[in-house]
Amino acid sequence: MSDALSEDGSDINQDDSQEDVMTPAELIDKLEQAWLNEKFSPELLENRSEVVECVMEQLTHMEANLQRVKKGDAKAGFHRMEIDRIRYVLSSYLRSRLQKIEKYFPHVLEREKSLVEGQPSLLSPEEFAFAKEYYANTETYLKAVALKRMPPNLQAVDMLKAVPEPSLDSFVFLRVKERQENILIEPETDEQRDFVVDLEEGSQHLMRYRIVAPLVSSGAVQLI
Amino acid sequence: MDPSEVEFLAEKEFVKIIPNFSLDKIYLIGGDLGPFNPGLSVDVPVWLALNLKQRQKCRILPPEWMDVEKLEEIRELERKEDTFTPAPSPYYMELTKLLLNHASDNIPKADEIRTLVKDIWDTRVAKLRLSADSFIRQQEAHAQLDNLTLMEINTIREFLLDSLNCMYKLRSNLQPGATKGQFADY
Amino acid sequence: MKRNDGCDGLTGISSWFQEDGLRQVLQEMEALYEQNQADVSEAKAAGRADLIPSIKLRHCCLLRNQRCVVAYLYDRLLRIRALRWEYGSVLPANVRFHMSAEEVQWFGLYKKSLASFMRSIGGQEGLDVTQDMKPPKSLYIQVRCLKDHGEFEIDDGTVILLKKNSQHFLPRWKCEQLIRQGVLEHVMS
Repeated sequence: MSDALSEDGSDINQDDSQEDVMTPAELIDKLEQAWLNEKFSPELLENRSEVVECVMEQLTHMEANLQRVKKGDAKAGFHRMEIDRIRYVLSSYLRSRLQKIEKYFPHVLEREKSLVEGQPSLLSPEEFAFAKEYYANTETYLKAVALKRMPPNLQAVDMLKAVPEPSLDSFVFLRVKERQENILIEPETDEQRDFVVDLEEGSQHLMRYRIVAPLVSSGAVQLI
Repeated sequence: MDPSEVEFLAEKEFVKIIPNFSLDKIYLIGGDLGPFNPGLSVDVPVWLALNLKQRQKCRILPPEWMDVEKLEEIRELERKEDTFTPAPSPYYMELTKLLLNHASDNIPKADEIRTLVKDIWDTRVAKLRLSADSFIRQQEAHAQLDNLTLMEINTIREFLLDSLNCMYKLRSNLQPGATKGQFADY
Repeated sequence: MKRNDGCDGLTGISSWFQEDGLRQVLQEMEALYEQNQADVSEAKAAGRADLIPSIKLRHCCLLRNQRCVVAYLYDRLLRIRALRWEYGSVLPANVRFHMSAEEVQWFGLYKKSLASFMRSIGGQEGLDVTQDMKPPKSLYIQVRCLKDHGEFEIDDGTVILLKKNSQHFLPRWKCEQLIRQGVLEHVMS
């Protein structure tokens, strides 16, 4: 049995196509960071397909090993529990994304349409397919049930106007991972003046998402 | 965020256990654990410690801070200071709850510890309410919240963020502008 | 006119699709539109500028009706979407009963999109993201069977019989959906 489970599952380290060498433990950390960021950010973040795929690979690999293990093996239980935990984070992460895709579908698709060369797309290919179908199904439904029965000048609805946009002005809690200087904070009222703050490593803050959105993408701050 | 999710994150913290079984080193995706030898202490994540404890496979050693004297000091300091003092652990509340619920027989003076931790928590949450209140009143745009734990943030997250967003909407609706989201308001 | 009175409580679909209400709103829209058409030609032909305010008013009513109808329909879609996550891909008859044919169709398409999305994750069997809704707590949990469900296979190949009132010690991940469907109940220790 020990053969089946003594591999530390470090396959991804041997994969030459992988640019940055990541240990499985670092991979799981990356997944958890992506999960929390996605949970707390008001808008859909850039997809992390590479993380999702590597984690899935790890899980499949471990599941396959567990199939070969004798019943009642003490180690199998430990691995099972760990798989459970990782799968939960992965599912919850993908669910958060799906929810936002469904909530903001016209805007999400509009963003994909207006991508500039080289700009990374927010959606994974699978999510893109899902979003397009969701849009088409919903539009077809509204047309069939109501819009086509309305006067000629009212048979269309501008989905971009009709479906709310994510509010980038929402406040978020965050922890700083890489020190940042001179972050400009705009005032809430006309009587106040704007000011700058330095974000020290490890410090925690509450402010508008819009201010830190680029830092969330770059990984310099973590939403909490 | 659901409190169960904060608890889930707390379960990643390591505790020392004394196992009563032997097992070779085990290679989890998230890192190696063990080897396990009867009577020899070993570090494991809380989720595993609790499971082993549930199956009577180990004794859990309380974390260093889970000690009456240390917690009393922290409580006094927390009461004295106006700001938040460093928490005993980033997950002190969840770990106390988890360990006392599932392994109270391994924790000396469990009842006193429960009360102390609750006192510390109450003091901190009262401060948190005050600062949230002033944040809203002063219409501030930024607050630094060092030393707050995730569970503490979580207690005010929804209420505070929803209030701030509502106030923002009310203010920005005063100015004429495009209204979006017609599906949502009718 | 009552609008959107068919909007149900906070979650779920507990009332019928308001086909009659919808028809009434559409009829009203048709009438408003026809009046406007008539007034517009009158205004143009006879230069009756005094008709313009009522044309505008009717147009606002038309827009409002359109918005209300779409908001009502969309709100129901969101509830129907939530049903997929709550009940799985097969809806209980009493829930389906409240949906219109077109809604059932939309649900079917949503189900299909979601399934192909889940299949595509990771390349092999995919990942059912409608499972694991709560953080895992411990390896096994004690469950009580609330109704007869028949045979049930656990990961390691063991088959158990889920009989009403029987209690089992099962892997949490295998029972989550059955708990949501009301087949099993988690017995708290």
